[in-house]
Formats: sequence, C-alpha cells, structure tokens
Amino acid sequence: MRKFFAVVKHEYKKVVLKWSFLIGTLLLPFLAACFAFVPLIIFSLKGEPTRIVIVDTTGKILPRLEKNLSAERLAERAQKAAKDSLTEIDASQDEKMRNNAAQFMQDFKMTPYENTTAAAEDIRADLLGRIARGEIDAYLFVPENFDSADARFEFRSRKGGDMISNDGFKDALNEAVRSQRLADANISEEQLTQLSSAINLDAKGIDESGAEKDSSGVWVASFIIGLMIYITLAIYGQAIMGAVVEEKETRIAEILFSSARPFELMMGKLVGVGLAGLTQLAIWVGSAAVLLGFLALQSDFRVLLESAPTISPLMILYFLIFFLLGFFIYASIFALIGSMVTTVQEGGQFAFPPIMIMLAAFYCCFGVLRDPNSAFSFWVTIAPFLAPITMPVRILSETPPFWQIALSIFVNAAAITALVWIASRVYRVGMLMYGKRTTIPEVWKWIRQV
Amino acid sequence: MWKMPDTRESDVSLRVSNVTKRFGDFTAVEDLSFDVRAGRVFGFLGPNGAGKTTTIRMIVGITAPDEGSIELFGETVSHTLQNRIGYLPEERGLYKKMKVVDQLKYFAELKGVSNRDAEKKIDFWLERMGLAEWKKKRTTDLSKGMQQKIQFISTVLHDPDLLVLDEPFSGLDPINVEFMIDVISEFKTQYKTVIFSTHLMETAERLCNDIILINRSRKVIGGSLREVKESYGKNLIAFRGSNAENVLADKTLVLKIVTHADEQELHLADGITPQQLLKTLIDSGALITKFEVTEPSLNDIFIEKVGGSLESRL
Repeated sequence: MRKFFAVVKHEYKKVVLKWSFLIGTLLLPFLAACFAFVPLIIFSLKGEPTRIVIVDTTGKILPRLEKNLSAERLAERAQKAAKDSLTEIDASQDEKMRNNAAQFMQDFKMTPYENTTAAAEDIRADLLGRIARGEIDAYLFVPENFDSADARFEFRSRKGGDMISNDGFKDALNEAVRSQRLADANISEEQLTQLSSAINLDAKGIDESGAEKDSSGVWVASFIIGLMIYITLAIYGQAIMGAVVEEKETRIAEILFSSARPFELMMGKLVGVGLAGLTQLAIWVGSAAVLLGFLALQSDFRVLLESAPTISPLMILYFLIFFLLGFFIYASIFALIGSMVTTVQEGGQFAFPPIMIMLAAFYCCFGVLRDPNSAFSFWVTIAPFLAPITMPVRILSETPPFWQIALSIFVNAAAITALVWIASRVYRVGMLMYGKRTTIPEVWKWIRQV
Repeated sequence: MWKMPDTRESDVSLRVSNVTKRFGDFTAVEDLSFDVRAGRVFGFLGPNGAGKTTTIRMIVGITAPDEGSIELFGETVSHTLQNRIGYLPEERGLYKKMKVVDQLKYFAELKGVSNRDAEKKIDFWLERMGLAEWKKKRTTDLSKGMQQKIQFISTVLHDPDLLVLDEPFSGLDPINVEFMIDVISEFKTQYKTVIFSTHLMETAERLCNDIILINRSRKVIGGSLREVKESYGKNLIAFRGSNAENVLADKTLVLKIVTHADEQELHLADGITPQQLLKTLIDSGALITKFEVTEPSLNDIFIEKVGGSLESRL
C-alpha cells in the first residue's frame, strides 16, 4: 500500500506542478470572468463620438433619428443585448454577433446640413471633402421619397469597416423611418407597440411531485456540466496515456516493475491523475460559485440567476460519482493504449476511438435535454461509456428515479472492473515490449494469459 | 582441512533451479540452473539474445518462470523481496522533465525508503559521484554520462543485498568504469551479492569470481573463473624460438599454431603434456627463448563455446 501511495503522490505532483495545469486551471475561470465582466466594463466606456452630417430635405427623419440615438436609448439597447446574449444560447450566429455589437455603446453627434437647397452633386462633393479633411466622419442623405419601397438612403462613412457603428446606426435609422411612415399613416407609436406586443407564455416545467420549476436556465447549466465532464475526461485520459508512454519509451517501466507490482503502479497512476483532475474541477466549480455570487450582487444579472437550476448537495455528490466513473473508464482505456504503443504520436491515433465515444456521449446530452424521460434518455444514461457524461446532464435537467441512477452506477462500475482487469494485463506485458507496436491479436493473447 | 569459503552451502544467496521461460513458441531460457554466492561477483555472460535479460528479469521479479524456481535469500522471489534488490536495466531511462533529487526520491520510495532517509543518501551518493551541484537540475540538462551515474545511484540508493547490473559499463567512459568497479568491489567486501551481465569478456575476467556462460537459452559452462579456466587451460603454450619447425609440424604433438607478432600460440594435441613437448623440442636441438603454459582468456573460451553463432549475433 505504501508503494501505491508513493505512485499516487508522484503522479499527482507530476500533473499538478506542471505549467500547463496551472495555466489551464486559471485560464478557464479567467475567460469565464472575462465573458461576464467585460461587457459591464465596456458599457461604461465611450469612444470618440461619430460625427455625422444629415442631409434631410424633408426635415422629418432627423428629429426621430436623434431621439433614437440618444444616450438613454442606446444604454437601454446595450443592456438588453447583454442580457439576451447570456440567456439565448440557441440564438443564431448572426443574432449573437448583433447582440455582441449592440453591447458596445456608440455615441453619435449629428448635425443637419445647412444649405439643403444646393444641388445634390454639390452637397455630396462638399461633404466628401469634409470627410477627407477629417472634419466629419460620415454623412447621410435622406431621400425625399423615403416612404417608397425603393428609397435609397445614402450613407458614406470614413469608418466604413466599423460594423458596430454602422449596425447601430442602421437600426436607429430603420426605426426612425418606420415610425415616420406609421405617423404618416396616422398610427401612433403607442398603438403599434400595443398591437405588436408578443404574448407572454408562462412556460415552466414541473417535477415528479407536480411542483413548478423554472427550466430556462437548466439548458445552460446542463450544457456546461456535460461540457466540463467531457473536457476533463478527454484531457486527463490523454494525460494518463502520455505518462504511460513516457515510462515505456524511457524504459523506466523496467525499474518500476522491479520495485512494485504492475497493478499497484497502474492503479496508482489512475488515482493520482484522477485526483489531479478533481483538483482542477474543484477549482473551477469553486471559482464559478464565487463568480455567480458576485453576479448576484449585480442587479442586471439577478433575473438571470433566478432562472438557474438549484443544485442540491446530493446532485453534486452524483456529479462527483459520475465524473469518477467516467474517469476510470476512459483512463483505463488510455492506459491500455499507452502500454500498447511505442510513441505518443502513435498513441494519438489510437486515442481517436475513445475520444469519438466521448464526443458521441456529449452529443447524446442534447437528446437527453430535450426529453429527459424518453427511452433514448434512459438507455444512454445507463449505457457504459456514455452514462458518465449523459447522466449528470439528465440528473440536472430532471432527476430520474433513484433505481435508474443506481443501475447506471452499477453498470459503469462493472465496466470499470472489467476494463481495469484487461488494462492491467496488457500493461504488465506491454510495458516491457520495446521496439514495435503491439497488434490486437497479441493483446488478446496477453489478456488470456494467466 | 581448510575449506574454501566459496563452497559453503550457506553462502548461496540466489539459487536458480531448472528455470524455463517461453514467449509463445520461442523458448528464451531453457532448463537453466546455477547458484550465486554472497560476497562474490557473479558474471552472467553470453552473446546478445542468449537469454540474459530474460533470466535477469525473472531474478528481479519482473516476470515469473514458466517452469523451475528461483530462490533468493532462501525465499521464492516475490514483491516483498524486491526491496532488497538493486536493479540496473540494460535499457536506461529517467523522467525527462523531473529534477534529479525528485526522481531518486521516488525510486527510493518505491523500494521502501522513507523520504527523509533517501534525502541523506542522495546527498551522499551525488557527492561521491561528483554531481552534488546537479541535484536540482532536470534530466534534460544532464549529459548522457551523468544520466548513467544518476541511474546507478537509483540502483544502490536503498542499500540492496543483491545488486543486478545488466551491461553496466555500456556507454561509460573509462573513468566512470573504474569508479563503478570500485563500488562493485565495495559491495563484495560487504558480503553482498553482485550479478552482472556483459558480453565484454575483459571486464568479466577482471571482476568476476564466478561465471556462467549461456548461449541460445542454455547454459554452456559455469563455475568459478579459476575452475573454468583451468579446465580449458592445460593445452596452450606461448612459444618463441627457432629451429623448431620440424617438431611443431608434427600433428601428433601440436594440433594448431596461431602466429602472433613475436610469438606463437601452440595448441597441444590430445594426451600431450607441455613437458612432453618441451622435452621433444630440447631433444631436437631447437633454440627456445620462451616456453610458457598459458591459460586461455575468457574471450577464447567464449569464442570457442559460442563460436559461429557469436559472429552472427554480435
């Protein structure tokens, strides 16, 4: 046992004291924090205002545009966009980009063109000249026939590539023209708002006891849990493989095998690296808790947090169990691969199938989320290899009956027993085979050998 | 009558009895038996691929024999006995990115040495090897020779009773070879057991008290170096002289003549003693400037015993 712990300690230290661990551990919370805080910070920043000259011979559009681009309206729009970007993860890529853009607040400084009676060509030449001299940033021609469908609004900007400004400006202009058109049709803005307001669908899931629960945040949380387990399993599984191949490649295995039982060595490795993975997860979960705590203090996000699912201590225990089940399943597969191959590169090719299975499990999560009680969800959360990733997602979205969780744990624990048994046999022989990659029939022979 | 210490039964620290090891259809070691005694250096000789490493792996408990038994210090080799063995494999390796001191501590810990004891011993050995200032360096910063020394330290750190060295001198410079020989001698005087395998006969000749020569998975000869040599050494004469051609050409007296730069090596025919040849030479009126009964070198024995297969394998 003492030797086993020596191996555990060694493997743990080897992973945790590496730079990549430190960077990986700190980087993720940092990135998460960036996503949460940076928009907040950016709201308070204002760049140089965009100076625009408006040539509006009708005189109807400019006032409305000015109103739409007022500081208060823009701030409102930015906040709404920030909220949407956090809650609507199923938004299309385009919508996401627009949302992101809207979060960056713009400042516009508009001046009407003085001499509107001049010929259009002269005005254009004059304005282009001013833009060239840097006196203004852009100009807008409002056509007289702005009502008609083929009306062309001419907007020329020296910041042509500034998608953010253009986008915000376009929205404001659109709105201004639309409201003017409505006004011309004798429909007031209030009437329109009232007429076009969306229905208020009170959608809430109910759990087994019939109690209501808010499910809007479940999707996000489940997705995060599934992703986190998947990433951690993939990273640490491959870490195991790397460690095994290193000992084989450098022939350290020979020294190790003359000091301790191969089984002790392999299990020590699995447990040591597994603890390192848990350490990282703990840091992530801990920092997520701190982050959420901080966000709860920000009134803007309180609404968001209220829709987040409640995670009970029992759920956390389940997540831990399923993470460990997944870790030992995949780690023993990776240890087996590591002891078969001769170099890390070669191992990379063999690592493809288990990674694919993990990925498949991750994709199954979406099916589970859509209907946690379907037959599909039942089977993928019981099946070995898949359950460690799918079951936590299912538990979070809708906790299944206890017997299903127990069955899943049992099935996967049995799979681990079998895999560890096979892996330890291959490890024992494979680690001392140098020079060539092992073939599957050979491995099969080692497994059957006593 | 005074009895030679190397014949005492109680001195046997390792007994290999009728050991056979197969890998599929290939028999790596076949019916191998030998004893190794404490306080002596045991040379395990043979061409590459003869089964040396396989046998050594069984002795240090990495693999188990298919047939026969291996007893170390009177017990069947087991994982608990491994703490008393120091093993230097032929293929060396260290963790590339680990500090010297950390690796040594880990290897010592796996041999049941506590971290505190290990630290002291590591300092002692690093000092002795002249590597004290490399303690906190990583393997990748060390030269190949230094890495070999570190590897050797890991073999002796836990003060083993049995030292098993597989080709310990390969890749070492002469100074370090001498150094290692000193350490091996030290172990010998502490009445410990040293087994080392080599295909370098000169080194074996210098160091070993006992040898075993194996070829193609089987034992060829074995015993104390003296015995082995004596059993081969009665028919070789180093000769220098003139006017002896007629006598030497007589095949009933001299089987074979090997001519060296300034002397000849005479292989006596069966049943002919050096005295008979000397007398015949004197009687024939030959002028003799050198006539010396020599023993064959281990190299000669090796080549004679392993013969053609050696050339094809080395």
